[in-house]
Amino acid sequence: MKKIFLLLLIFGLMHGLVQSQDKPASMGFIPSSYYTFSWNTTFTMGDFNKWVGNASPAGFDLGGRYFIKGGLVAGFNMSWQRVSQIYTNETYFLPATGQAITATNYRFTWMVPFQAVIAYHLMPDKMVSPYIGLGIGGDYMEHHLLVEEYDIYKTRWDFSLTPEIGALIKLGYYSQWGALVAFNYKWTTNQIDLYKDKSSKNLQMLNLKVGIAYIIR
Amino acid sequence: MMKTKLLTILGMGIIAVTSCTKYPPSSGRVTQDLVVYTQYDVTANFNEYKTFSLPNTVVYINGKDTSTLNNANATVLLNRIAADMKSRGFEQIANTAKPDLGINVTAIKTTTTTVYSPGWYYGYPGYYPWGYPSYGYPYYPTYVTSYSAGSVIIDLVDLKKVVNNTVMIRWNAFIRGLMTNTHTQADITNSVDQAFTQTPALKTTP
Repeated sequence: MKKIFLLLLIFGLMHGLVQSQDKPASMGFIPSSYYTFSWNTTFTMGDFNKWVGNASPAGFDLGGRYFIKGGLVAGFNMSWQRVSQIYTNETYFLPATGQAITATNYRFTWMVPFQAVIAYHLMPDKMVSPYIGLGIGGDYMEHHLLVEEYDIYKTRWDFSLTPEIGALIKLGYYSQWGALVAFNYKWTTNQIDLYKDKSSKNLQMLNLKVGIAYIIR
Repeated sequence: MMKTKLLTILGMGIIAVTSCTKYPPSSGRVTQDLVVYTQYDVTANFNEYKTFSLPNTVVYINGKDTSTLNNANATVLLNRIAADMKSRGFEQIANTAKPDLGINVTAIKTTTTTVYSPGWYYGYPGYYPWGYPSYGYPYYPTYVTSYSAGSVIIDLVDLKKVVNNTVMIRWNAFIRGLMTNTHTQADITNSVDQAFTQTPALKTTP
């Protein structure tokens, strides 16, 4: 699926570049809004990285942006992400009941972030329009610890902040289709305390988003 | 052209949404590695116990058949349990010398996924060698095992305090993946050591 997605993206970008060669650079339009659908790769950081160290390509993001004035936009983001990793010979303790189990532990966190976004586009009328933005919102997260057949989990909501840089790339001067490349840092108030003797607080991560955009004039 | 693009996006969206499964595939996460589970009586004061006794055979349960194991694996298993008990300050004495603690070691061959609590197998004739009619637990251990694997259960029986003709289990260990054709004697040693390592409370002052 990811290969198909990448092939479509590469095809779209090439289509846009071919179009751009026979158009004057001054041409273009400032969109009224655009919608994005991106493949999201997550890189855990800090305490979150101690819980799951692997980067995870399992994630998608859906966004909408509305131009308010000039390059200033407001919008939203909704995502789905999952990070996971196997740890062998981990011991899980339940001190209150005197229980302990040593086995292969499969840790994963499943999250659904949603944020309001404000961003500023540089050169919104150009084919390549970089932007800086800030997302403010929350996440629904489920932290699971699978010890063989046992599933120990906790569900948490949080508050999150996400500064982001990226670029909207039109696939042609008059095209309503574009590509989105963005990179963000996310800080949350979420925490993981499934292991009694260690916990992860203020989960942080980096996200790389690559996707397509539908642009409305 | 526009319709094709919209259909492409719609198709990708459907694929993305349907791929958003919460649980990773089980083939990638459930393994047949060794599992060591222990539980002890949190109300027990192990300092009250000084001596223990160990049988020289392992009870072997295969389906409804019960027998004893006294091969090289059984010897390694029993010797390691004795060594770990001694390292925790307990003294090994003969069964006839009235030890404070008795140890039963059982190997079970399983071939399917099973969830069971320990009471079920004590009805097997010949399993319980101490002459008391029943076991009691101050806690409620439950074992889960699966696949074609052997499991070993080590029970630490309180012979000092017999209540209502019942002996209490103060500690037990359940090790999945032992006593099969694939394990090594190092697996036996390491897993028994792990059972003790993850129970730091099980110690006494000699």
